[in-house]
Amino acid sequence: MPAIQPIIRFENVAKTFPGDVTVLEGVNLSIQPGEFISIVGASGAGKSTLLKLIYAEETPTEGEIYFSGRPLSHISRKHLPFFRRNIGTVFQDFKLLPERTAFENVAYALEVDGRSTADINLEVPEILEIVGLGAQMHQFPRQLSGGEQQRVSLARALIHRPKVIIADEPTGNLDPVSANEIIQLLLQINSFGTTVLLATHNKGIVDKLDKRVILINKGRIFHDQNKGKYMLQ
Amino acid sequence: MISDKRFMKTLKLWRTFKEGIENFRRNGWLTFATVSILTFSLFIVSLSLLIGMTTSLILENMRAKVSVSVSFNPDVTEERILEIKNELSKYTKEITSVEYVSRDKALETFLAESGNDPVIAQAIQEIGENPLLASLVIKAVRPEDYPLIVSQIENSTFQNDISRINYAKNKKIFERLDRINKTVGKAGLILGAIFIFVSILITFNTIRITIYSHRQEFEIMRLVGASNIYVRMPFVFEGALYGLVAAVLTLGFLFGMAYYFAPFTTGALPQGNVLNLFLGSFWPIFGALILLGISLGVVSSAIAIRRYLKV
Repeated sequence: MPAIQPIIRFENVAKTFPGDVTVLEGVNLSIQPGEFISIVGASGAGKSTLLKLIYAEETPTEGEIYFSGRPLSHISRKHLPFFRRNIGTVFQDFKLLPERTAFENVAYALEVDGRSTADINLEVPEILEIVGLGAQMHQFPRQLSGGEQQRVSLARALIHRPKVIIADEPTGNLDPVSANEIIQLLLQINSFGTTVLLATHNKGIVDKLDKRVILINKGRIFHDQNKGKYMLQ
Repeated sequence: MISDKRFMKTLKLWRTFKEGIENFRRNGWLTFATVSILTFSLFIVSLSLLIGMTTSLILENMRAKVSVSVSFNPDVTEERILEIKNELSKYTKEITSVEYVSRDKALETFLAESGNDPVIAQAIQEIGENPLLASLVIKAVRPEDYPLIVSQIENSTFQNDISRINYAKNKKIFERLDRINKTVGKAGLILGAIFIFVSILITFNTIRITIYSHRQEFEIMRLVGASNIYVRMPFVFEGALYGLVAAVLTLGFLFGMAYYFAPFTTGALPQGNVLNLFLGSFWPIFGALILLGISLGVVSSAIAIRRYLKV
């Protein structure tokens, strides 16, 4: 089988925070394009830090992370914003701009890229339609339910057509029905070829997915199974 | 492709500019306070400059009118005086003009200046002869040469023909005006520096507060791939706007000031009065104020961004 270049690769990565707090240690990880991976583990196990290292919000204290074969440590601060457009991020707290409508929140990601207003008016409604928010396009976050807000956030993550979607506890604040809808959307996105990394606590979701599961425990990869189940050590 | 890139850049710049205006608008009374202190500082600086400019122009104007008048003893003949005049006229490097005023002419001027007062005319008639002396009115090329010219004349071959030289009278006015000019300049500079410092601090603080109120947004901006410059530009524009508005307001106040003081300065300036002086150099003043205002705003926001906006 010819080797496919991993989209993300961790090579002996360690992350220590000031005060000698080791959050990650000896992490070796290879993620192929188009994979759907659940990252599980107890609170404080290092899931979020692992994800932050991928979108270069944090830098490793040891080792190297490669994105499409390119070492992240070689990306200058100046080029970091451009690199980040390859990765869409979704969080538990949605991180929407409260004073902008759903449309404007998504449009914002294109505005910063210098895209024309015509492009924005074309692409934003399209993506909002995909996440099922075509009708609520001009509502403010406070007028939307949690699930709807998360879909806005997902639409924003998708607008750059990223290679990777990182979802850090995206269902943490949602009721089971909304949570399921978000997972279905992530699966749909994944079926188009986008790599999805999902950090979650939700056993039901992970078990139902029946995809690769990485269990992190005390800063180390404890389990890495294809078609895995959520299991605690 | 290149024009595409330029278009994108312009579009981004325009968007950050709009964002800056939005910050300016939303800050409410904070904007008011910032613009006020900036206006006040700009006003102090430009006012002291304008006063300095006005007094030096008044000085120059007076200097142009100044001359040394050398009066001759009554027994000196007209031929002798004209001979001396010719002698003095040779010093073209120091002396612009030498004018002969005969006794008759001096009397005529004197009577005219006293408003042809019949009492004075009668008094002169009673004396029986013209009490005034013939004189040479000398104008120097440079005002600072007067003392030298005076001392040269005092020690010349015709020193015995001279009755008196009147120069000392003007000297005192000069020295006083010169002192005022220098004091105003110095005080204005110190006061201006203090106010500029304070206004930078206040503008800096305003931008700091704006940055603080937007702090959750920076993370989002970063996550969607906004470049550092895109995140920072709105604050630079915000600072520039404070300066710009302050400069325009200052200009208005200066106009009001000049308008009010115009009648008091009529005739003292070559331009007529301060209002004419102000309007005559309106564009340079306008340009300098706008430039200074915007620089103050931008410098303040640059400091705030550096300290509080870690991207």
